[in-house]
Amino acid sequence: MKLELGYIDIKGIRFGTYNAVEDRVLVVNPDTLIEQVLEDPHIKAARFEIASPGEKTRITPVKDVIEPRVKVEGPGGIFPGVISKVDRVGSGKTHVMRGMAVVTAGKIVGFQEGIIDMSGPGADYTPFSKTHNLVLVMEPAEGIHPHEYEKAARLAGLKIAVTVGELARNIAPDETVVYETPTIAETFDAKLRGLPRVGYVMMLQSQGLLHDTYVYGVDAKRTLSTLIRPTELMDGAIVSGNCVSACDKNTTYHHLNNPIIEELLARHGKTLNFVGMIITNETVYLSDKIRSSDWTADMAGFLPFDGAIISQEGFGNPDTDLIMNCTKLEKKGIKTVIVTDEYAGQDGKSQSLADADELANAVVSAGNANETIVLPPMDHIIGTLDYVDTIAGGHDGSLRPDGSIEAEIQVIIGATNELGFNHMSAR
Amino acid sequence: MVAEAFSGRFSIQFIEEGNDRDVLLRARDLVHVGHRILTAPLAGSIKPWETPYRSVMLTAEPEGPMDLFSLDLMERALAILRETKASPRTVSQAILQDFQIVDKSLMESALMSMEAAGQA
Repeated sequence: MKLELGYIDIKGIRFGTYNAVEDRVLVVNPDTLIEQVLEDPHIKAARFEIASPGEKTRITPVKDVIEPRVKVEGPGGIFPGVISKVDRVGSGKTHVMRGMAVVTAGKIVGFQEGIIDMSGPGADYTPFSKTHNLVLVMEPAEGIHPHEYEKAARLAGLKIAVTVGELARNIAPDETVVYETPTIAETFDAKLRGLPRVGYVMMLQSQGLLHDTYVYGVDAKRTLSTLIRPTELMDGAIVSGNCVSACDKNTTYHHLNNPIIEELLARHGKTLNFVGMIITNETVYLSDKIRSSDWTADMAGFLPFDGAIISQEGFGNPDTDLIMNCTKLEKKGIKTVIVTDEYAGQDGKSQSLADADELANAVVSAGNANETIVLPPMDHIIGTLDYVDTIAGGHDGSLRPDGSIEAEIQVIIGATNELGFNHMSAR
Repeated sequence: MVAEAFSGRFSIQFIEEGNDRDVLLRARDLVHVGHRILTAPLAGSIKPWETPYRSVMLTAEPEGPMDLFSLDLMERALAILRETKASPRTVSQAILQDFQIVDKSLMESALMSMEAAGQA
């Protein structure tokens, strides 16, 4: 399967009376976009703001971050089964508005949404301080349940991203990259012989309402582990629907730009043979955990993989799924590397994961989420600081009178992302 | 919230004066007498030391000899709580309901799986 991504480098965003991309600047009419958001009766009010790199701006509480894309050639549309009709995506040509993002903000679950700082020390911890952000701030209708509002906010962000992405349809890309994934038969080609057969196991947060991820519109907790083509993710086959810790949730932007996939595809045929990718869920019910990890290990042996990278989403209960996946693959003779983050306490001395096993002996850490940071006051707040004290990683008194915030880095969106999508590295 | 929502349907031991550790200890004790746990004890991606609420689902009746898988999971979860130095705890009343909603939604998620398997 071959997908061509045409990157259009967006240099800025401004409000206007029409929607267009002019000289690589996105011009949007906030009134028409607000109208689109308010079509959903679960949303009482909405407004748009713009945040650009280097500004003294803080966005909080952030729910999701989405990169606008548009399908130019080939079957299906962006976010199939959710915004576009269900059709198999991942082939043809897609335009990407690189350097910008749609950010959704507003309180859903007070303790789980996070912060994006556009400058200062916090900006180093989030990739979204480097993007021009069109921020959609929402308020829920009176009396609706948090999960109804989560759904409304999720869909509003995706709809706006698709509307914006459509503006890039007829623009010549600044850069074009072709991603090609082999069929299973092709992975046995003579020219790949001798290279290790490597697979990718991607774990999706799916523990229940407010903890969900959707694959082609299907709630991942209701799925069996399955194969997916890496390029399908680049067209939005997987979207985030969760409100877990800010630092290690995979936003929709992360799903569209999974760095593990990009690295494996770049190395395919050179240092390794990238055989395929399995997605599996993270559930609450133990029978589901056992079934999903059994299925993942069986499929990995069936393809077969010599080795696999396993990425996790979240912390705590998903550590159990992570270790089950890791040990079951290892017991089939498949070498694993797990990608996770650590909650090792503010002094870094506590046990990093909630579960462990001696077979899990190759680990890539995305950082210690308990590390503390002081975020200086900002001139402009998009959203509200009402929840800073209660976000996971914050505490009573986190928000100081001068507007600065003392908290753990887990309050920052993407700070310890378990796909390795970070700017900071110890490599 | 879990106790309110499911009290008509299931036998519920509600530990009002206690914390997440007390819930896990009670569940561990039930495992010792033969109950099997049905949900992972460290539910959700909420750090164990942050939430004041914790629900664990077990079989209603003891099922015979102690289930070692259940015991292993319970002891691992308790070990995490023992080893973890607590982060500064949020005491905001405004947020307690959100913690309850997430605790309940996790149990509802497990219940869906139980129902699908014809076990509830």
